[in-house]
Amino acid sequence: MAIHRGKGLATVEYPTGMNQNGDPSQAWIKVKPDGRVDVFSGTADIGNGSKTIQSQIVAETIGVPYDWVTYDNSNTDSSPMCTGTFASRATFVAGNAVLKAARQVRERILAVASRELEIDPADLEVADGAVSVRGTPAKSMGVDEVAGAATFVHGELLTGDGAHLNPGAAIVDPETGEVDRPPHAAISYAACSAAVEVDDETGDVHVLELTHVYDIGRAMNPTLVEGQIEGGAVMGLGFGVLENCYPYYPSAEHRGGDMSTYHVPTMAELPEIRNVLMENPSSGGPYGAKGIGEMANNAQPAAIANAIHDAVGVWVTEFPITPERVLAALDAKREGRGEPRREGRVVAFDEEMSINRFSSTITWGPDVAPPMCALRPAGGPSPASQDPFTGRLNQ
Amino acid sequence: MKVVGARLPRYDGVGHVTGRTTYVDDVRMPGMLHAAALRSPHHHARITGLDVSAAEAMTGVHAVITHADVPLLVYGHLSGAGIPGDEPLLAKDHVRYRGQPVALVAADTVEAARAACAAIEVGYEELPALFDVRLAFEDDAPVVNDTFGNWYNQYEGNLDVRQIRKGDTEAAFDAADLVVSGVYRTQSQEQAPLETQVCVAVPEPDGRLTVHTCTQAMYFSLGVVCSHLQMPMSEIKMVGGTVGGGFGGKVDTASDSLTALAAQKSGRPVKWRWTREEEMLASGNRGPWHMEIIDAVSRDGWILGRKMLTIHDAGAYGRFSVYGLTKHSFHHTGAYSIPNLHFDGYVVFTNRIPTTAMRGYGVTGLSTAIELHAERVARELGMDPYEFRLKNANRVNDTSPNRIAYEDPSTVEVLQSLASATGAELSDELRTMTRDQRTGDMLPEHLTAQVGSGGGH
Repeated sequence: MAIHRGKGLATVEYPTGMNQNGDPSQAWIKVKPDGRVDVFSGTADIGNGSKTIQSQIVAETIGVPYDWVTYDNSNTDSSPMCTGTFASRATFVAGNAVLKAARQVRERILAVASRELEIDPADLEVADGAVSVRGTPAKSMGVDEVAGAATFVHGELLTGDGAHLNPGAAIVDPETGEVDRPPHAAISYAACSAAVEVDDETGDVHVLELTHVYDIGRAMNPTLVEGQIEGGAVMGLGFGVLENCYPYYPSAEHRGGDMSTYHVPTMAELPEIRNVLMENPSSGGPYGAKGIGEMANNAQPAAIANAIHDAVGVWVTEFPITPERVLAALDAKREGRGEPRREGRVVAFDEEMSINRFSSTITWGPDVAPPMCALRPAGGPSPASQDPFTGRLNQ
Repeated sequence: MKVVGARLPRYDGVGHVTGRTTYVDDVRMPGMLHAAALRSPHHHARITGLDVSAAEAMTGVHAVITHADVPLLVYGHLSGAGIPGDEPLLAKDHVRYRGQPVALVAADTVEAARAACAAIEVGYEELPALFDVRLAFEDDAPVVNDTFGNWYNQYEGNLDVRQIRKGDTEAAFDAADLVVSGVYRTQSQEQAPLETQVCVAVPEPDGRLTVHTCTQAMYFSLGVVCSHLQMPMSEIKMVGGTVGGGFGGKVDTASDSLTALAAQKSGRPVKWRWTREEEMLASGNRGPWHMEIIDAVSRDGWILGRKMLTIHDAGAYGRFSVYGLTKHSFHHTGAYSIPNLHFDGYVVFTNRIPTTAMRGYGVTGLSTAIELHAERVARELGMDPYEFRLKNANRVNDTSPNRIAYEDPSTVEVLQSLASATGAELSDELRTMTRDQRTGDMLPEHLTAQVGSGGGH
């Protein structure tokens, strides 16, 4: 009995924006008389940092300091439509909406400044909260002065609106799945390496290290990107070795209804996490960005499974990879059942192929469908004495 | 550029870490009632009677909502995408999963609301439940879903299966040196946000409703509430945008519409905060995926073709599962270029809680299966795992399963960078490989037909 170390690898790709697109986001911006900028967007911040990212886009695009920007996503009366914060779309799709709105604001600032300075707007630039003449930085006025002039001299409101929509992609041939245009806003790419220790006596898997490389086009705020990567890595770790709503799937018994019976990763399971960010700007994202949020938990489960194989020579293909499953695979290997069936050119790792059963058009695979999951003996009723849904005592 | 790319602190970070951010549960209104749900104790049953009169008569109870109070009981969240609705906001004739809401009570206190729930008389005739997707196709299987049967049957072209067909898969398998098969199963995972689902709905003096929501998608939820209540968007104001964790589980918030109905019926502000048990046992989680992959492979390491069958356990109702499966089908080659494809995917219904979006929706389990399978094939060929992946990695202008050219695939670069970061040794050939369009040795005969001509992403 011993502890074995192994390393495993996985590489993934993931789309930005809703599959098949067609998911609009809109935004509008107004400027106060002192040049401070109010952004109105319908994008919920679910911890992904969209308030921060969109405020950065607005500050950068207009040319004002970040702390001049306020961001209001608080209600549907004042904020325009946003499809929502999911599908890794907030930075790309909603970010493009505020980018377009901010460009309009910048144009209006330049137009008013042009009148004030009596200089062609094409010869003006905005940076750090000031409008200056290209090549003559001494001749300038603050964006606060421009906004004041717009309000009190010209009777104008500095404002801008923007919307972004990647047109919907239709499946034009249901037989082949062919679509009429790209079904995503962009695709991000990543690779992950896992280092694990496997205890061949207990079946316990300890993930020591996760190293990630992500190309998300442009890291708008590297700290927040790393937050997504690290949070995603922990979620992927939970998916890989810990979490299961139905521990005896497909049985519906023994569901965990709280954090003591459903085990998410804790600090005790936290591996060393290393991240590398690559930036190959996308053609359509704001400042070249692509999505990162969702893909961040996709690579770890397979990397961990492959590392377990590297460590102890067994494939565990049902998730999560619990100690029981590791021990069962080690037992199978010891008993000579660990190798795939090799016959001629056929290498069949798992004999439970059911393709023939469900698909008349696929003709490869033995026509058998043994249990999809080994059903364990039912362990009796839930230990809860009170039914959580009715408030009544269990019989 | 100074602001974009900078490591600026979070806009809302100080409030979050000092406990000063206002989340929905922090909203308190004068005269606010508290709601509790009566949920099905059965996995599958016919409802033979529903009597709320005793509950309504209890002290402190201000409203009891059942299916009869919902102006539009069934609203399809993906109706805009042509996918019909199948899930009632409150159970009417059947309960299809344990935890399905049957009634909502609004009362002076949570305790009073729970006591009233316990006083609601529901007659149930238990029915056989289906949990195993393999059995869903049997002739004598219990019928789970009224609208679709036991698997979704309304894809484009009236198909009951999501298909991808590309190239000549049979020829690829005929030509293969190795045919490698494997089965991969991923589990149901709970989103586990710190903030459980919570809503505060407030009837305003002007007749409007204000709905404080924890939704990830305020306008999507506005549309859902307006549909169930049959009200125009001008009559409902969603207030939110600050969410205590969602991870996909708060896109289709179930709490908003019911709380709004309770506020409307009682004429009082109503808060409905789910317990942790409700969040974990009755709200949608990540669904299980059953995936079978068979690859046709050449001895020198090319993946010539792939056949794949996917069965997605959607739980009792469709929600976003068809969307998830379609996305899954579009990405079933992972980061690789495989020119000959034959994919069949099914959304199957079982008597468990309806599954919904979770981070990586439709793809997390898929990536897991693809990358385990890739590792197995590489080992079977005796190839280095990096070499096998780099060789088959998608390149600029390779085409995706649905024939869209990849614009900027970085698989080659991220693998090279990972090798460098972890000290894995790559040959000169692999170290200097680029993602550029295929030429020479990287454009073998079997890939010539599938290289596109741009226009993709």
